[in-house]
Amino acid sequence: MGVKILTVDDSKTIRLIVARAFKTFDTEILEASNGVEGLAVASREKPDIILLDFTMPVMDGMEMLGKLKSNTDLKSIPVVMLTAEAGRENVTKIAKMGVRDYIVKPFKEELVVERVGRIVELMPRGATVAKIRRYDDPLNLLLVDDKPAILEQLRTGLADTPWTITSAEQVNLSLIERITQNPPDLILASLSLPSDAACTLFQKIRNTIKTQSLPIFGLSVKTETDEQVRAQQLGFTGIVTKPIDFNDLKAKITRALNLDTTYKYFERQANVLVIKVPTVCTSVATNEIAANLRLQAKEAVDAGIDKLVMDISRPKSVDVTMIELGLRVVRLCQELSLKYIFVGSEPICRECINFAETKDWRFANSIEEAVGQLGGGTRVSPPKEPVAG
Amino acid sequence: MAVNDLAELLKCAVPEVFSTMLSMEASPQPADAPKPVFDAQVAGAVGFTGKLDGVVYLFTPVSFARLITGRLLGLSDNEIDGDDMVNDAIGELTNMVVGHVKSRMCDRGAACVMTIPSVVRGSHFSITPVSPTDSRTLHFVCQDQHLLVQVLVKP
Repeated sequence: MGVKILTVDDSKTIRLIVARAFKTFDTEILEASNGVEGLAVASREKPDIILLDFTMPVMDGMEMLGKLKSNTDLKSIPVVMLTAEAGRENVTKIAKMGVRDYIVKPFKEELVVERVGRIVELMPRGATVAKIRRYDDPLNLLLVDDKPAILEQLRTGLADTPWTITSAEQVNLSLIERITQNPPDLILASLSLPSDAACTLFQKIRNTIKTQSLPIFGLSVKTETDEQVRAQQLGFTGIVTKPIDFNDLKAKITRALNLDTTYKYFERQANVLVIKVPTVCTSVATNEIAANLRLQAKEAVDAGIDKLVMDISRPKSVDVTMIELGLRVVRLCQELSLKYIFVGSEPICRECINFAETKDWRFANSIEEAVGQLGGGTRVSPPKEPVAG
Repeated sequence: MAVNDLAELLKCAVPEVFSTMLSMEASPQPADAPKPVFDAQVAGAVGFTGKLDGVVYLFTPVSFARLITGRLLGLSDNEIDGDDMVNDAIGELTNMVVGHVKSRMCDRGAACVMTIPSVVRGSHFSITPVSPTDSRTLHFVCQDQHLLVQVLVKP
């Protein structure tokens, strides 16, 4: 699916110019003529980026931006402001509003494409889709940081992945050449490097065609918000704060490189779709399962599968996120007319009986037993009774 | 800042906008050169208020307005779908010209805000302010086509 670009401008001329600019790219152009319409379209379509005019009737760009930033579902959508006014005061005001970039009218179409291309990946229309990599495929990550301890931390924190971490302590010509000749898959650059070296590196990377799509994250101490805001406005892929939360870092790398994680959680066995909840069910894991659930289930149904087993035997206990995930699975199975059953340990079964939302969940002791129960008839067997005593 | 300063800013703004958006060269004509009179014309208008109050009009003959629209949108004359498309294009062009001027005004301490564009079209009309204003009219030639830009400022 192409990149969704929402243009919010009262001028149909501008909307047409923007649409034409992206004609040769795999994009879906959405339009709105004022801030009210823009918010409605953004809520409905969740665009990947918004081009927002400053001066509009009904609701202007500033007001719409404020409403976007106060909406949890929409606040992370990057916004590029379009304005006919390039005065110092106006530019400063725009920069403080939290936009990713701004474009002053008049503008060349190439400039719009270049600025948007810094923020979202633009693929030529009709280009072959690159093979999707899996989370357990080898990757080359480059760390640019003058503190050796960070490299050690990274290697330790990512030791459970097959990812290779190389490093550089400073940004110089030799590093740029190295990156250009042999691009890593992703770069982590410390924003505290002297003389804004990380930002310089970012700009050089983005200005080189071979590396312009290379994800670059800024590494920053959690409280250094100024440098983080600057990096985000420049167009860094994201920010990783120190001390590093490695679950969060892995999730960010997964998203940035669009790594396939479905194999960790979904498996087809004969004519059954099995969902495997990991031992440590973090919010990252739950989100990844939830994000892929519907598509995996629909593809399974399309392939002739009519049974689903949710295996929650690995976690030690049930928590709210797992219950919510389970309920989501149940709703989806009902929607798709899938027969379903859970697999869980004795303690898990006992816990589930105590919750109103889960007391009616049917359990089997193992996946084999579950498949047998589902395959035998039109309804699953009655719930297991808790062990007395 | 006075109307003459705005006129000088417009002499830079119009060529800049036409060059960037239309790849056309708009050449300012000498002040004493005779000003063309248009029959059917389209006039874009954008006002500004703040340290200075005024309005800028951009007058083009309809034929040139259609040419401008086609250039902006990459359309042939046949593909231009009605007056609304032309009106919007001229309005946006005027918006860009005045925005260009307004940015320079703000940098020089004459902060103001712009109105949204409006467009008037017809034949044999002129626009006259109700109250006294200082006014300048600039004449540009662009690929044998003529364009008039009028700035009115409240004294």
